[in-house]
Amino acid sequence: MDFFSNLIPGFSIALQPINLIFCFVGVFVGTLIGVLPGIGPVGTIALLLPITFGIPPATAIIMLAGIYYGAQYGGSTTSILVNIPGEASSIVTCFDGYQMALQGRAGPALGIAAFGSFIAGTLSVIGLQTIAGPLVSIALSFGPPEYFSLMILGLIILTYLTQKSMVKALMMAGVGILLGTIGLDTMTGVPRFAFNIPELLDGLGLVPIAMGLFGISEVFLNVEKVIQQSLVTTKITHLLPNFKEWMESKWAIARGTVIGFFFGILPGGGALLSSFVSYSVEKRLSKNPEKFGHGAIEGVAGPESANNSAASGAFIPLLTLGIPANVVMAILLGALMIHGITPGPLLLKEHPDLFWGVIASMYVGNVMLLVLNLPLIGLWVKVLRVPYSILFPLILFFCLVGAYSLNNSTVDMALMLFFGVTGYLMRKFEYEPAPLLLAFVLTPIFEQALRQSLVLSEGSFTIFLVRPISVGFLIIAALLLITSSFSVLRKKISGEAVD
Amino acid sequence: MKADRVSGFFWLAVGLIAIYGSVRLGIGTLQEPASGLVPFLAGCFVSLMAIIVLLRSFLRGPDLQVKLSGLWEDVSWWRPVVIGFLLLVYILAFEKIGFLSTSSLVLFLMFKCVETLSWSKSALVSVLTSAFSYLLLRVLLKTTLPKGIFGF
Repeated sequence: MDFFSNLIPGFSIALQPINLIFCFVGVFVGTLIGVLPGIGPVGTIALLLPITFGIPPATAIIMLAGIYYGAQYGGSTTSILVNIPGEASSIVTCFDGYQMALQGRAGPALGIAAFGSFIAGTLSVIGLQTIAGPLVSIALSFGPPEYFSLMILGLIILTYLTQKSMVKALMMAGVGILLGTIGLDTMTGVPRFAFNIPELLDGLGLVPIAMGLFGISEVFLNVEKVIQQSLVTTKITHLLPNFKEWMESKWAIARGTVIGFFFGILPGGGALLSSFVSYSVEKRLSKNPEKFGHGAIEGVAGPESANNSAASGAFIPLLTLGIPANVVMAILLGALMIHGITPGPLLLKEHPDLFWGVIASMYVGNVMLLVLNLPLIGLWVKVLRVPYSILFPLILFFCLVGAYSLNNSTVDMALMLFFGVTGYLMRKFEYEPAPLLLAFVLTPIFEQALRQSLVLSEGSFTIFLVRPISVGFLIIAALLLITSSFSVLRKKISGEAVD
Repeated sequence: MKADRVSGFFWLAVGLIAIYGSVRLGIGTLQEPASGLVPFLAGCFVSLMAIIVLLRSFLRGPDLQVKLSGLWEDVSWWRPVVIGFLLLVYILAFEKIGFLSTSSLVLFLMFKCVETLSWSKSALVSVLTSAFSYLLLRVLLKTTLPKGIFGF
C-alpha cells in the first residue's frame, strides 16, 4: 500500500510540465554525452549545475539525475557502432556489441541494449523505492560516531574497488580531505590554507575541481593519442530482437539487474564495475562461453542491464544516508546543498516532494530513453560522425565558461585548469581522481562527525568502538583492508607484479 | 628516474607541508579539537602512504617499474601542452579583452594550430560557437559576461 501511496504524490510532481521538460532535457543530454566519447556525466552535470540555480530543487535534480542514467543508455550506441566506449561503463559492450554489428546484427544489439537498460532501469527504481523507506528508519538512529565510521567504510570500499593501486587510492582520499579543509572552519570561523585569497575563504568549489579532474584531464589524455573511429556503415534494421534473441538474453538481463543494483549501492562500485562483473558471470554461466567476444547477445544484454541498474541503485546511499556512492552522486550531493537541501535520513521527512518526485521521474525518464534510443537511433549515428577534432575545443570552451558563470570569477577558471593539469598528471602516474573527489565532498560531514564525537566522548576514540553500528562499519572496513593486503602478499609470493 | 619515485616524493612534500600548516593553525586537544586537527591527521596519512609508495619504488626491481620518460612515449605530448597554454591565455585575457573576442580567437587557434583544420572551417566554427554561447548565456540565461576593451 505504501508503495503506491508514495508513488502517487511522486508522479504528481514528476508529471508537472516543467519537470517533464527538464526530465527530457536531462535524458536527451545524457544520451548525447553518452554517445560522444570523451565527455562523461561528471563533467556535464558539473557544467550544467550553474543553470539549475534558478529552478526549483526537485526540477534541478530530476534533470541532473536524467543526465546520469541517460548517459548509460547512450554509451552502448558508441560501443556497438564504433567499438569505442561512449562511457567507461560501456567498455565491455564493445566486446560483443561491435562483433554483432560487424556481422550485420547492429539492430538487435542496439535493441537488446535499450530494452535491457529499460527493464533493468525500471526494476532497480522499484528496488530503490522499496529499500529507501526502511533504510531511512535505520539511518535516523545514527549519531556522529556512526556517520564517521560509515564514511570511513565508504572511503575504504571505494579504494578497495579501485582499478589500480589501493595505497595510491587511499593517498588520494587523504589529499581530498586536505582540499576539503581549505577555507573557513565552519566550527570556529578560522581561515585554513586560504593564503589571503578571498575566493578561497569559502573553500574550493566542487564544480572547478570536478570539471578539471574529469573533464579537462580527459581531453588532455585524449588529444595526445590518435583516436581511430571506424563507424559501422551498414543499415541498422531489426531493432526489435526476435524470440530467440529474447530467450538468450532474458536471464542475462535478470542477473545484470540484480548485480547492477547491489554494486550501485556500494561506494565506488557503480556502473563500471557492475558491467564487468555481469559480463564475467554471463561468460561463466554460459553453455557456449567460446561465443563471448564473437558476438554473443548475452554479452551485451547483461552488462547494459547492469550499468543502468547500478545508476539507479547509486541513489540509495545518497537519498537515504546523504553519502554519495560515486563521483556523480558526489556532485548531486553538492547540487542539493547549493539548493539548501541536506541529503540524508531527514530528506524524506522534510522534502518528500523532492524525494518521491525524483524517484517517480526515473520511471518517466526510462520510458523517454527507450523512445530516444530506438526510433531516434539515426540521429545518434549522425552525432557519431562529428570528429573529435571539432568536439574537444568545444568541450574545453564550455567547461571554462561554465566555471566562470558560477561566481563570475576567473579564479574558478584558473582553479579548473589547475585541477585539469593535476588530473592529467595523476592519471599518467596512475593515481585515480575518484577517491580524491569523493573525500573532498565528504570532508565537511566527516570533520564535523569526528569533532562532535570527540567532544561527546571527552577525547576518547573508544566512542567509535562501543557503539554497535559504528563498530560494525569499522570491522567491515578493517576486513576489507586485511583481505586487500593478503591479496597483495599472495601475488607477491607467487611472483606476480603487484601494484 | 622512476615514475613512482617522483610522485612519491611529491606527495610526501604535500603531506609534510600540510602537517606544518596544520600545526601552525593549532591542533587543539582530543577533548577540544581545533581547526588544524583534521588537516594534521590527513597530512600524516598522505605522508605515510607516500612513504609506502617510495619504499615500494626502492625495493621493487627496475623491470617492474615505469620510467618517467615512459609515460610520454608514443604520444603527442606537445598537444596537451599547447592546449594548456592556450587555455591559460584565454583565462588571462578573458576579462580584459572580453568574452566574444577572446573566445573566438582561442577557439580559432585550437582548431587551426592544434587540429590543423582549414582557415575557413576554423573561423566559421569558432565564431559560430562563440556567438551561440553568447546568445545562450548572456541573452537567455542572463549570465554576466565580461565586455572587455571592445565593449562586446
